[in-house]
Amino acid sequence: MDPECSQLLPALCAVLADPRQPVADDTCLEKLLDWFKTITKAGSSLLLLQENPCLVELLCHVLKPQDLSSRVLSFSLRLAGVFAAQEDCFQYLQQGELLPRLFGEPGPLGGAAWTAPSVRSGWIQGLRSLAQHPSALHFLADCGAVDTIFSLQGDSSLFVASAAGQLLVHILGLSMQGLAEGHPSLQAGDWPVCAQKIVGHIEESLHSTAVPQITQALNVLTTTFGHCHDPWTQVLWVRLSPLVGSLLEKDPVPAAHSLVDLLLSVARSPGLSSSSCGLWETLAQTLNHLSPTQAGPLALGILKLQDCPQVLRAQAFVILLQPLACVLKATGQDPGPSDVLDSATGDSLTVDALLSSKAACVGLLCRTLAHLELLQPLPQRPCPWPQEPLLGAAVTLLQLCRGSASPASDVGRHLCALLLGCVRVQRAALDFLGTLSQETGPQELVTEVFAVLLEYLRSPDSSPTVLKKAFQATFRWLLSSPKTPGCCDLEPHALLVLRELLPVLQKRLCSPCWEVRDSGLEFLTQMTRHWGGQAGFRHALLASEVPKLTEQLLRDPESYVRASAVTVMGQLSSQGLHVTPVSPEHPGGQQKSLLVELLHILSTDSEGFPRRAVMQVFTQWLRDHHADVAGDTEQFMARVLQVASQDLDWEVRAQGLELALVFLEQTLGQFHSHCPYAVTPPVAAPAGPLAQALQPLCRVRLFEFAFRALFDCDRPVAQKSCDLLLFLRAKTASSSGSLQESRSGPDVASVEAALQRWQAGDQGQPLGDLEPEVVLAVLRSVDLEGLRGALAEGSDHMEKSPQSLLQDMLATVGVLGENEADCY
Amino acid sequence: MPEIRVTPLGAGQDVGRSCILVSIAGKNVMLDCGMHMGFNDDRRFPDFSYITRNGRLTDFLDCVIISHFHLDHCGALPYFSEMVGYDGPIYMTHPTQAICPILLEDYRKIAVDKKGEANFFTSQMIKDCMKKVVAVHLHQTVQVDDELEIKAYYAGHVLGAAMFQIKVGSESVVYTGDYNMTPDRHLGAAWIDKCRPNLLITESTYATTIRDSKRCRERDFLKKVHEAVERGGKVLIPVFALGRAQELCILLETFWERMNLKAPIYFSTGLTEKANHYYKLFITWTNQKIRKTFVQRNMFEFKHIKAFDRAFADNPGPMVVFATPGMLHAGQSLQIFRKWAGNEKNMVIMPGYCVQGTVGHKILSGQRKLEMEGRQVLEVKMQVEYMSFSAHADAKGIMQLVGQAEPESVLLVHGEAKKMEFLKQKIEQEFRVNCYMPANGETVTLPTSPSIPVGISLGLLKREMAQGLLPDAKKPRLLHGTLIMKDSNFRLVSSEQALKELGLAEHQLRFTCRVHLHDPRKEQETAMRVYSHLKSVLKDHCVQHLPDGSVTVESILIQAAAHSEDPGTKVLLVSWTYQDEELGSYLTSLLKKGLPQASS
Repeated sequence: MDPECSQLLPALCAVLADPRQPVADDTCLEKLLDWFKTITKAGSSLLLLQENPCLVELLCHVLKPQDLSSRVLSFSLRLAGVFAAQEDCFQYLQQGELLPRLFGEPGPLGGAAWTAPSVRSGWIQGLRSLAQHPSALHFLADCGAVDTIFSLQGDSSLFVASAAGQLLVHILGLSMQGLAEGHPSLQAGDWPVCAQKIVGHIEESLHSTAVPQITQALNVLTTTFGHCHDPWTQVLWVRLSPLVGSLLEKDPVPAAHSLVDLLLSVARSPGLSSSSCGLWETLAQTLNHLSPTQAGPLALGILKLQDCPQVLRAQAFVILLQPLACVLKATGQDPGPSDVLDSATGDSLTVDALLSSKAACVGLLCRTLAHLELLQPLPQRPCPWPQEPLLGAAVTLLQLCRGSASPASDVGRHLCALLLGCVRVQRAALDFLGTLSQETGPQELVTEVFAVLLEYLRSPDSSPTVLKKAFQATFRWLLSSPKTPGCCDLEPHALLVLRELLPVLQKRLCSPCWEVRDSGLEFLTQMTRHWGGQAGFRHALLASEVPKLTEQLLRDPESYVRASAVTVMGQLSSQGLHVTPVSPEHPGGQQKSLLVELLHILSTDSEGFPRRAVMQVFTQWLRDHHADVAGDTEQFMARVLQVASQDLDWEVRAQGLELALVFLEQTLGQFHSHCPYAVTPPVAAPAGPLAQALQPLCRVRLFEFAFRALFDCDRPVAQKSCDLLLFLRAKTASSSGSLQESRSGPDVASVEAALQRWQAGDQGQPLGDLEPEVVLAVLRSVDLEGLRGALAEGSDHMEKSPQSLLQDMLATVGVLGENEADCY
Repeated sequence: MPEIRVTPLGAGQDVGRSCILVSIAGKNVMLDCGMHMGFNDDRRFPDFSYITRNGRLTDFLDCVIISHFHLDHCGALPYFSEMVGYDGPIYMTHPTQAICPILLEDYRKIAVDKKGEANFFTSQMIKDCMKKVVAVHLHQTVQVDDELEIKAYYAGHVLGAAMFQIKVGSESVVYTGDYNMTPDRHLGAAWIDKCRPNLLITESTYATTIRDSKRCRERDFLKKVHEAVERGGKVLIPVFALGRAQELCILLETFWERMNLKAPIYFSTGLTEKANHYYKLFITWTNQKIRKTFVQRNMFEFKHIKAFDRAFADNPGPMVVFATPGMLHAGQSLQIFRKWAGNEKNMVIMPGYCVQGTVGHKILSGQRKLEMEGRQVLEVKMQVEYMSFSAHADAKGIMQLVGQAEPESVLLVHGEAKKMEFLKQKIEQEFRVNCYMPANGETVTLPTSPSIPVGISLGLLKREMAQGLLPDAKKPRLLHGTLIMKDSNFRLVSSEQALKELGLAEHQLRFTCRVHLHDPRKEQETAMRVYSHLKSVLKDHCVQHLPDGSVTVESILIQAAAHSEDPGTKVLLVSWTYQDEELGSYLTSLLKKGLPQASS
């Protein structure tokens, strides 16, 4: 701890111990604790306490009966735990009997303060930090803490209850750590006292008829098997599995969700050899006993396991597929040749669950679709994968939701009534359909997929979120459509789809909903990125109104849409897909008009997104040597940098520097082309050509922008500028040219003076034209490394320092007034 | 037993980050999804792990509702929807939907600006999140699904702030978000109808305070700015992008106009234009006065307030500058502050709360020597003022709202435990309802008795009317009918209609009772005696002696039989239908007393 903090600490402890002084900001104590954790991690806690006796005094003081705030009490308990985590410090605190007084019966545990959840939480967290060594285990056993933790598992506070469970897991692990290596005994009598007690409690809970108690026990076990893979966990499972298995005999199965979590946690544990413990049988049994809704997550979990008997996998897959099989059957469709779906069809329980209510039906279907979506990309997914029936089911569900399916059976009609207009199922089915595009299907089914997607994209009833997902799924299916070998253009069928799609997109770009217009533009961006160079796509796009409409969206009232339109237009233009009628006065001027339009947006748009999008387009154009930029790059750069440097949005300024960097690389790249054999920078180069190479950079006023940006009030801009100038300096470091006096512009001294003014926050007049030699000299004289180091710290690192925290906490004493609980 | 469960993940006995989970009739709703500006790590967001353990979030949660655009109510939303993985609907009012992304973006920029934080949501995430929003109008009932509906009410506080009623069947919860019960310069007062929810979840920031009028604070603000400008000083007002900034701009603009002041006023981020746009767009959300004025002239077309250029800060002479961010923790406002802090003629006015770890917090706690980078010390000589313009209901206002809504129970959030305790007692005493104040993570469970609507068939009602009794709301009346449940609806119909609708045959159910009478006479004679006795006692009823020897009283049948073992005893078999149960019981008890002695 630095001396300044040490000096402030006694006063702060006195304030904390004074019940008349409320703690101002509820984050302060948290941050204070963070700081102590950092200190104790780095050094001796004992030394810390010895050097700062005020800390122990604070811990003693909070025990006195007084009206101390529960927050300070909770803090003190946690702090004591942090210190006592080191065994020597634990012993030191034990000498004064401080720990039993804090954590035992005489402490807050028995007092009125215990009613505050924050105190109970502090007590648990304190013990959690403390429980790191054997002495701590003895302490826990002696002071009866374990029993209290048992009862806190059922605490009214979710946080306390959960932390209590976690603490039990930790104590169990810690106490079993001490057990001799090798195979631990099955006899409970051989286990350490704490472990015996905890396992006994778990057994008792599993015997109980109260569901909350069973849930708590199952959760503790789940965390244990999830975190610890030592041999003793296998012994524990052998001992407890009959009890867990007996839960399956109850109807309904209690705490099914937690039971599933436990079984999967055990199955995933590398410490357990599943076959010997009868785990697979238990899993199979559980799959049979649970309701379709409860069994889904278990089935998914089983299918995700790396090695698991094939029979069990098949059973799990059947269960996972059942709801979709029912849908197919109900709508009179053949689930196909797949055995799996065929065997999944007859389950009446699933049909009942599907038809019992709309909520149940929607819930079950959404979960099933989500589970299958997760499973699809996994390497361990079932093989053969029933792609066709699944595609059929997804399409059918989407049709049922739209009312465009007309099932003949009663169940089908009932399903149709339940699902009509259901947005949740639509969203889930579209996501799933998109995932299924990883593989294809028979042509007629793919045609159906596109038909249903177009139906959704066309429908005036589709909500914006549904439309977005429909666009995403359509793109994925277009991507997956089979390609002609050697050609990456869209295949003929996909082209047909595209021709139908473009009028729909056109309509959607005119939607009154900005979300829809934006999703349409994002879709167009994706398509152009992939097929912008392909003849079929180009032809279809140019024949449509889409490019024209996109251009109009540059003036959309919604800034998000304007930004997306800027991105698309930039891309269309790069691909030569932006065509405006060429006026006779400006031959070849169609590209220019877009540049002018984008520059206009950059200098006038009131919102940051479109301006940032313009800068990204410009940077890309410069990289790609876009015709319009390449025509007169210097003029382009000068204009853009001038506008960007004035922008109030720091991200635009930062992107201005990004653009400057690209320009710099390109310009100096040309310069280096004179030395074709140079391998790595820095490259020794004669001053003449270097100065020449820097001339264009000077002409576009890149350096004034960069030098000013070095002291920008927004840290990322300064950082970027620093990087840019360091890059330049590295490139030109060994330039041997002698410095020449500036001919017309400012000299080195005046630039350095300007830099100092900027650093002080003054803006001042523009520098005017700089000469390359002056730039190089200034580059050498500015401490860029030092600046970069300073910028690497957060801009508020001073305010965030421990010293500042202590000062703030002390400063608020007595000035807490109206602003104490005030907020925005 | 149906119940409503409420668990605050944030705003339970604190004013950090509002996030309250409500479970009502099997539906799960998240009310607000705020962030804590005082933390720089994941602690700034509510701990969502407590809900993710219930399986997929989108399956578990039916919807998220955002009450208003302040970050302590919506700041964690992009994190929740784009990083934690919630993909369901988010509801908020139209102004909130418009303004929310601006503030989120503003905050994101500050967070990245300060530390270059990587684990933070991006602009794209904010946009994707906003695309999931369903905007609602005031008083419009929105069906989240077939069972769950929500409705927004005006809350004052800030532009677009709303209270929400969440209803499933007959059970309902009202969540106030932050609200203000007194109209201010640009917003009206909160209002809700007498919706009698099972539970009212109300904020309690000023649970124990009776606040002076906002007008006093505004006068004070103008006076201070005026004084500083008069003495040639510069005034810095650090603000967040939208909200209070515009409120103070109107205030200054009007004052400058009235006093004919010449000192320039600048706004640093070009946001006046945007604010102008939003206030024009959402004019119906502002108060009467603004709406009226708007017809004459656009109140947000400021004559005196101009866009700020960084070079202006060096200009000599007085000026007023609104600069972001509001807590002096980065960017422009901090830069200007550093420049102006050394001059005692200048002034900084903090119009809102500042969290620890910011320069704003330091100067508000009275620190005047601030350590800067490189061991430099900045001496703050300028005048520092704090003015709370936050528009929350005070104790009186909260009581007023409880009175308006008439809830069955009240739950306090967004306040300090001690103050809540006081208000809780007051509410319980005055309104005789239960009041709860759970801490974060604590669950309050309220049993509810759902009222199930039952339709009554017209036929049944007409039959009742035919008996000549007119309905009287004050006198409850017994009505016989058959309750049938069909297509998830309850209906009370006549038994004949029920049988017809359900296609069932009628079964007669008769209650039978044996009464032993000491009577050595023949059965027929005993029956005759019974007949005479009943005829004399039951004058209003139709008593008949049938040819087969049995006696009837309405639907009740009485037959006499010989006792198999005792010839001196006769057994009377009394049977009746359930409709005449009362009479049947009466007759049995009457016969049990025996028959009067024959006069002969």
